[in-house]
Amino acid sequence: MAKASGPSKSELLKGTLDMLILQTLSGQPLHGYAIAQQIELLSDAVLTVEQGSLYPALERLQKRGWVTSKWGASPTGRRARYYTLTATGRRQLGEEISDFDRVLVAINRVMRRV
Amino acid sequence: MLRYRLRVLLRPEQHARDLDEEIRFHLSLEAMQREHAARGTLTSSDARWAARRRFGNLTTTKEEARHMAGLGFFDTAEQDVRFALRSFRRAPGFTAVAILTLAVGIGANTAIFSAVNAMLLRPLPFREPERLMQVNLTVPPRGDAAPRDNLPWSYPKFVVFRRAQTIFDDLTLWAGTQATVRVGTDAERTGVEFADGRYLPTLGVRTAIGRNFSADEDAKPGGSRVVILSDAFWQRRFNADSSVLGRALTVDGDPYTIVGVLRPGFRGMSGRADVLVSFMSQDQQTLNEPWSHGYDLIARLKPGVTPEAAKPVVRQLGVVVNNAYPNSEIKGERWGAVGRELNGTRVDPLVRRSLLVLLGAVGLVLLIACANVANLFLVRAASRRREIAVRLAVGAGRARLVRQLLTESVVLAVLGGAAGVAVAWWGVTLLATLNPVATLRTQRLGGIGAVSFAAIRLDPTAFAFLAALTVLTGLVFGLVPALQATRPSLTGDLKNETEQSRLTGVRGLTSRNLLAIVEIALAVVLLAGSGLMIKSLGKLLGVHPGFDAERVLTMRFNLTDVGRDSLPAFYDQLIERLEAIPGATNVGLADCPPLNGGCNGTELIHRDRPKPMPGTEPSVGVHWVTPGWFATMRVPLLEGRVFTRGDRIGVQKVVVISERTAKNYWPGQDPIGRPVSVGQGGFYDDTAYVVGVVGNVRFGTLDTLPVPDVYLSYYQSPRARMMMFVRTAGDPRAIVGAVRREAAALAPGVPLYDVRPMRERVADAMAYARFSALLLAAFAVAALALAALGTYGVISFGVSQRRKEIGIRVALGATRTSVVRLIVGQGISLAVIGGAMGLVGALATTGVLRSLLYDVAPSDPMTLSAIVVLLVAAVVVASWIPARRAAAVDPVEALRG
Repeated sequence: MAKASGPSKSELLKGTLDMLILQTLSGQPLHGYAIAQQIELLSDAVLTVEQGSLYPALERLQKRGWVTSKWGASPTGRRARYYTLTATGRRQLGEEISDFDRVLVAINRVMRRV
Repeated sequence: MLRYRLRVLLRPEQHARDLDEEIRFHLSLEAMQREHAARGTLTSSDARWAARRRFGNLTTTKEEARHMAGLGFFDTAEQDVRFALRSFRRAPGFTAVAILTLAVGIGANTAIFSAVNAMLLRPLPFREPERLMQVNLTVPPRGDAAPRDNLPWSYPKFVVFRRAQTIFDDLTLWAGTQATVRVGTDAERTGVEFADGRYLPTLGVRTAIGRNFSADEDAKPGGSRVVILSDAFWQRRFNADSSVLGRALTVDGDPYTIVGVLRPGFRGMSGRADVLVSFMSQDQQTLNEPWSHGYDLIARLKPGVTPEAAKPVVRQLGVVVNNAYPNSEIKGERWGAVGRELNGTRVDPLVRRSLLVLLGAVGLVLLIACANVANLFLVRAASRRREIAVRLAVGAGRARLVRQLLTESVVLAVLGGAAGVAVAWWGVTLLATLNPVATLRTQRLGGIGAVSFAAIRLDPTAFAFLAALTVLTGLVFGLVPALQATRPSLTGDLKNETEQSRLTGVRGLTSRNLLAIVEIALAVVLLAGSGLMIKSLGKLLGVHPGFDAERVLTMRFNLTDVGRDSLPAFYDQLIERLEAIPGATNVGLADCPPLNGGCNGTELIHRDRPKPMPGTEPSVGVHWVTPGWFATMRVPLLEGRVFTRGDRIGVQKVVVISERTAKNYWPGQDPIGRPVSVGQGGFYDDTAYVVGVVGNVRFGTLDTLPVPDVYLSYYQSPRARMMMFVRTAGDPRAIVGAVRREAAALAPGVPLYDVRPMRERVADAMAYARFSALLLAAFAVAALALAALGTYGVISFGVSQRRKEIGIRVALGATRTSVVRLIVGQGISLAVIGGAMGLVGALATTGVLRSLLYDVAPSDPMTLSAIVVLLVAAVVVASWIPARRAAAVDPVEALRG
């Protein structure tokens, strides 16, 4: 598989994909490919999404009611599905960020002690 | 969110297409991006491939996405079903055996359940049946006679009861009988019921056309002669002509007017009435006689009155009735009344018991069938061990695999259930043809005629039962193998199988052994039960009823048109004509055939002894016979003489008694010449002398000892309703035509009915016992066959697993015999453990058969030991076949392989 797995690239932490998707959608509605690009771009290509896993995640988020989707025209003129963050999704994003921050702080603390 | 779910659920194809399009869009963008970034060093097809690689596994993604969207369950279920069907196609032998086993198990259960449903569960076909009660009179014990709590009513007593009661909304009195109904010139012997105007309202049944009997017609004895027809009779005799109202027919010679037709399906409480006859049109003398007890009382409780609350009130009312009509013959004897829920009287306790026993038995058969199929699955799972281990290793969830294996077993069960519908249909048809009139009545089984085997059918309830049973079956036989097959022991199964097979086989083998043991144990319980029933049936067959039923034809005449006084002359001529028929050797008449039950009974008074204390009078059965009857039935004369043509009205009255009467009432003395009186037939006030003693005859049922009987000479005490018995030299059926001709010549238009060989009557008396015994035996044989098959499966699988070990044994010098002994020994040890468990189970459960057994103890040691022998034989045969295969193992081949 062509998963880019060089030393400089990290696999996503389990469970963080949802948070990353929600975060990229917090600015504007995007289609699936754009979400993948955004994540890679914003992380300076450190975080790579296995693109295939994006779509099950999007279904999951829709099922939970955190994002909705609508078909629209892409800049190239082709039909594309655009995902939008809902109000509950925004709240969820806030919670996930603060959870993640707590975990980061804790990890940092541990690492410093060692 | 809800919209999303609805869309996914309602338009799954649309959802799938959307996903495809989205992914295509994604891939094309990625490919474009790559092509662009490579600045021409990449062909567009290479770019597309790169995009695909970057994307990951397409199919998995789609599957996962669909799983996420919540379609997963149905999707995978469909997949699993397909997979199951594919794998069944690959193993047709296994599949056929499993489906057949399940079809028989599920089908037989459904058939028996249908019977239980119709006979015991389905609500009575009346309005609010839970408010209906049956009320009977009670009689205290008297002498030898047991107390009775099911005596029917007389009309005067009913009037007292009805006037005094306040707890019932409606009460009705009815009686079922047979009568000759003539429409125009066509006469037909059929079921009729005398019923009053409250009969239909009490039951909550309406007429389809016309009206019910009116209050006027109910008012007093001697009411107008009107009838209501059954739908069946109306269809049959009047072609469903709606202008039938007001037309005439005759019932036993009396003219009646048709006023209504019943709704289809309702044929009275007796379940076989074609004509309802207005109650008050009956003979006035009978109606006014307080001691003529021939009517059943059904009452509908007022709303809010429970049957429990009503019972003590009915007992009180019984005292009122007794005070109005105290027993004039036996002073101080107190009769009473008792009320029961009508539903509680719907079938005879014997029928209820036997049906429940059969249901339990057939349930055990299904359990054995389940164990057998589970065993087949275990064997199959063992051969699929590697496949399952691989799937577990590459990350299939255990729950997922269990679900898939369970789907397989449920699919198999559904196939079995579908085939079971045919088995059930066949079984129900068979059950419904059990002639309820012949079997239940001749055995004097109680219960409501409207609830009969004829009402058994495959209704929606039965299908619901079948469906539920099917799914349950699939889960039961599938769960153990599924859990066991997926128990994670990856390393063992992925390694070289031949090295590991014995180790990994051990656990599976124990479960399989356990299943075989359970099968054997259950089969033993069933075999024991059916063995007892068969032995009981054998004893019943061996009972000598006191007469010779071979080559005797029986029949009745309906002689309502002939006056009582001219009857003897008529019968004289008839006997003469019948005796002249070639092939007829003896002719005799009796009022009540043997094995019929319900013959008359009365008290015997010794004229040469002081009057006994009230309540201690000797009681006897009383029978009217012609002189030729004893010879016709080959009832042996033990002492004195039988009647002659000279024992007629106007000469000294005489009686013939049975051996039992002589032993009971003249112990150690010679009864000949003793003066007696008999409480019936005009023998109460006169003194009659005992002139002869004959052998005992079972007039009641085959399985009850004969009561003391007294015979009266027909010519001294004529009766209207007599049965004719003709002994023939050859087949009794051969003379039926001649008998009809002679009868028609003597009395044109008088129907001859109930024409049957006596042998058939005897067979009927055993029909129900035979039915239960044979059905139970069929189940037991099925159980034994299944258990043997299960044992065979276990042993033969064991042999195939131990090929290598057996090869080593043979190589080291074990003889063929010792190998056979080893394998058969294994089977026998299964049989011993299972058999012991089964015997314990049998001893604990065969007690429920006690009331169904005749002269056999539920723990009959002979039967139980016979069962054990049968079982061991079956198991030895079942393990002999694989044992011989084991003995034929070629050590070289086995060790090399």
